[in-house]
Amino acid sequence: MNMLGNILNYQHFPIYAIMVLFLGSFLIAAFGENRAVRNVLALLSITAALGFAVALVKPVLLEGEIISYWMGAREPAGGYAIGIALEVDALSLFFALLVATAVFVSGVYSIQYMNRDHNEKEYYTLYLLLCGGVMGMVLSGDLFNMFIMVEILTFAAVALTAFRNTVRGAVEAAFKYLVVGCMGSTCILVGTAILYAQTHTLNLAQLAQLVPGEVNTATKLAFALLFVGFGTKAFIVPFHPLAADAHGAAPASISVIISGVLTKSGIYGIIRITYFLFQSMGLGTVQFLLVFIGSLSMFVCVTMALAQHDFKRLLAFHSISQIGYVLTAVGLCTALGVSAGLYHAINHTLFKGLLFLAAGAVLHETGTTDLNKLGGLAKKMPHTTVLFLIGAFSISGVPPFNGFASKWMIYQASYQKAVESGNIGFLLVTIIALVTSVLTLASFVKVSHSVFFGQLPPELENVREVSWGMRFAMGIFALLCIITGLFPNLVTAYLTEPAAAAVFSVKPYIEAMGFDGSAAAALEGGSFQCVGAWDPVSWLLVLCIALLAITIVAVAGKYDNVSRCRLSTVEDKYQLFYGGEKQELSQLGGDDLFWGFKHNWRAYFNYMHRLHSGIVNDYALWAVVDLALVTLFSLIVL
Amino acid sequence: MTIVIEALQYLGYVLIFPGFLFCFLAGMLLCGIDRKLVAKMQKRVGPPVLQPFYDFFKLCGKETIVPAAAERITFMLSPLVGLAALVVIQLFIPVFGFTAFSGIGDIIVILYLLLVPALAMILGGAASGSPYAGVGLSREMVTIISCELPLVLVLLAVAKTVGSAIGTGLCFSLSEIAEYQLVNGSLITKISMLPAAAAMLLIIPGETGNHPFDAAEAETEICEGMLAEYSGAPLGVFKLSHAVKMLSLTSLFVALFLGGLGTGIMALDALLLFVLCALITAASISFVHAFTARLKIEQIFKYYWTVVSLLALISLVLAWYGL
Amino acid sequence: MFKKLIEESTGKSPWLFHINAGSCNGCDIELVSVLTPRYDAERLGFKLAGSPRHADIVVVTGPVTKQSLPRVLRAISQVPEPRCIVTMGSCPQSGNVFRGSYSVAGPLSKYVDVDVDVAGCAPKPEAIIDGLALAAKILKEKRGRKK
Repeated sequence: MNMLGNILNYQHFPIYAIMVLFLGSFLIAAFGENRAVRNVLALLSITAALGFAVALVKPVLLEGEIISYWMGAREPAGGYAIGIALEVDALSLFFALLVATAVFVSGVYSIQYMNRDHNEKEYYTLYLLLCGGVMGMVLSGDLFNMFIMVEILTFAAVALTAFRNTVRGAVEAAFKYLVVGCMGSTCILVGTAILYAQTHTLNLAQLAQLVPGEVNTATKLAFALLFVGFGTKAFIVPFHPLAADAHGAAPASISVIISGVLTKSGIYGIIRITYFLFQSMGLGTVQFLLVFIGSLSMFVCVTMALAQHDFKRLLAFHSISQIGYVLTAVGLCTALGVSAGLYHAINHTLFKGLLFLAAGAVLHETGTTDLNKLGGLAKKMPHTTVLFLIGAFSISGVPPFNGFASKWMIYQASYQKAVESGNIGFLLVTIIALVTSVLTLASFVKVSHSVFFGQLPPELENVREVSWGMRFAMGIFALLCIITGLFPNLVTAYLTEPAAAAVFSVKPYIEAMGFDGSAAAALEGGSFQCVGAWDPVSWLLVLCIALLAITIVAVAGKYDNVSRCRLSTVEDKYQLFYGGEKQELSQLGGDDLFWGFKHNWRAYFNYMHRLHSGIVNDYALWAVVDLALVTLFSLIVL
Repeated sequence: MTIVIEALQYLGYVLIFPGFLFCFLAGMLLCGIDRKLVAKMQKRVGPPVLQPFYDFFKLCGKETIVPAAAERITFMLSPLVGLAALVVIQLFIPVFGFTAFSGIGDIIVILYLLLVPALAMILGGAASGSPYAGVGLSREMVTIISCELPLVLVLLAVAKTVGSAIGTGLCFSLSEIAEYQLVNGSLITKISMLPAAAAMLLIIPGETGNHPFDAAEAETEICEGMLAEYSGAPLGVFKLSHAVKMLSLTSLFVALFLGGLGTGIMALDALLLFVLCALITAASISFVHAFTARLKIEQIFKYYWTVVSLLALISLVLAWYGL
Repeated sequence: MFKKLIEESTGKSPWLFHINAGSCNGCDIELVSVLTPRYDAERLGFKLAGSPRHADIVVVTGPVTKQSLPRVLRAISQVPEPRCIVTMGSCPQSGNVFRGSYSVAGPLSKYVDVDVDVAGCAPKPEAIIDGLALAAKILKEKRGRKK
């Protein structure tokens, strides 16, 4: 009994959460020939991982405990951490929860989504390996362990990108990802090595204790290397083309993980090194670095997305654009900003997951994601359409969905920062964020017109709604989108504020592992107070009353008494108006829908078009240039 | 008991003033005044001021045809959602000192809510399946993008001006902006707010889709764009929405720049609001309509992102340095 | 009460949809002149609609050529009820100078019930306004009959 109690002690849950995923992966590799066994094993391990993460909410997020776990009970000896450690503070758990949720939903979706593919055993093995890698990375308390996990997840992600290697471009995308991803991993490894040489430790907490006192050329270089390395994992500019290729080729359930979770691990890494290891966020210049790259990602990727004509590539660019929001908000280094950024991270995982799953549903049923070949699917896939629209409204920040709540906080945080610091540059960030938001809306209007509304091409006449399992998975995301949108106060109070508070409390993080945190720089985040007020529930209530009143009036006035075509052949009266001609298929192409906008920006778009050559050498060069610039930057300012 | 009375009071706000009934009457009257004024400026007799009411009731009596290619539910529902969203916007905009729902009237929220009616129209048009609607929605979306940047700048300028005046640094709450103006006089009396007010006057016709920024609904070239397949009552609701949108934007102008004129008596305030809205409509919609030709969509974009944005930006910079 | 309101309004807000069925463009220009400041048909609530779905009155000009006939009929069928059909100029009534041509399928009244004929080549704007006003009255009666 005592032993069972010891096993079920929540102190062990972090390692369990990682272990069950890897264990599932290995078991499927060994015994996954049978379809039922495979599915049960996969479902069990993702459910268990979610369960362990949720079980940690009470002690860590609500009570603020920091769980430190030495593997094999190898506690530090002689003041130096030898063993591998897990350290779970509110920030780690926050990301772990995101991971577990996304992994769970995408796993449920996979079961029916992948049923037409061969090699399902390999798929699940790699899938769980990827998930375990991300989970391990965010829960790890050891820089080298983080690197290991980054390697595991990168290779799993590369393999999964090329999983459907019959799809055109899949192998190429995987190759690009492999090259640039390895450059990123190498950066992390070299950065880790430099830090180890300087401080003789790899433990995050001890590094956080020692590194700020050791700022010399070597650690500055390490900062640049780590920053760029985690930047590749988050796909922030200039690594965004990789994401586009990878998402376009990978199965949708993998895109959910890459976009919703893998990019978050990059953001997590950046937060850990800037706020914790180097404690450099107090410097205006480092804030500038994050905000600048964030805003650049935000704007460049949203304009790139406007020019796409493939559903999943478009979503991929939006994914990075939203990551730009997160990075910008985190870079503001105010409590409201970090809280807003983390809130947006939650929302990004949810709505992006939903959108990728909807894209996957379209691909599963129609066999294409080309916006110019689709149209009118709302009549054939009504549920998918509604779910997609929820996701589209969320990402575009239409109230009362969740994207609005977090973006609204980001605007306030950036504008407040501008006013408080007197720096007019932050004002520009607010404006860019607001404009990006409306461009996002434009791009999703395009998708909804080209895929779900408009006219149905005759070859899609036999399309059916996707199976209930896939709809169920999308429904979970949609429901979460609505909940997090309607109750922003609960989300901020129970999820983002504890996590944001953890970001600003380096000292407890160091001391939880038994090191001396007295020298840690105390960053003041300020209050979590918003300037405005946003009460989605009462807003929705008012909207519902208004809508109800209008509907009652309308129905009483025989609004719904319409004449519609009831014959199988369409009479003239019910045909679309074509200036008198017979109705014919003339769906507006998706790729150039907003030419009125693009025409004015043609110089910019042409330049971008030339820049994104699709050649891996170029992208590798970008990585090198980025590294050089960031190194120069950190050598000068840090 | 008090809860019941309170609920009834809020229901009254939603249904009567400043909600549905007020929106309906005032919006339609504004639209009629606009048409009459344009006619007068063009030396015509013009339609009666009540013409929009006739149009609306006529459309209610017409047959509603749903094309076979249309997605019926979205097609029928989106006009109602758009109208409901506009009524809600009107509820958030303070009428001088009085706000129906003060806690949630925030200018960023208003900025986003203004997208909802346009979005409803876009989705309704897209659901009809017509290629004209496709072209229309493309242009409508570009018009929205065009107006968004200057509108953002104007709102941020107001937020900064009021915020630094009341000492919080920033103020996003519309009811606080209204209160500030009641005490300290209208914002338009400040030098820094003059360009912003001018920019806002130019934004109003773009947001409502009035001439010359009505490329999205150009009836002579793309058959009224997104509305091409609408007939009968849903079309009437869209026309009503257009009228209410004119009211919402003009009363937003009043709330932002002319808030100091309130008398404190609700009935009088409502009347004053309407008169001011009519004046602004005359200045920003009718006057511009009467002497300009329709712009092409890329011209609209260019115009808003250069001239109007510059005006708003000047205002923002002036506000930043506390003028 | 609402029925009466709708009926009254129907006569006061007739929107036109103009179909050119092979016209020489003379009548088309006269129709536009009706909307100019001099005649200003908008004072009676007339408005040119862009799509047949919005229209109450269909104005047909031209002798209805064989090419245009199916298009004319299709566009007319797309106008929601109650609707009124007005032929403008002599061509759609009789074929005018084009009568007997191999390519003319008119007159229009062979295919649909025409409510008002406005004769003339081209008719005077006063006559057009008179005809349209008559059509508006018929429209109101049609609405009243419908119940």
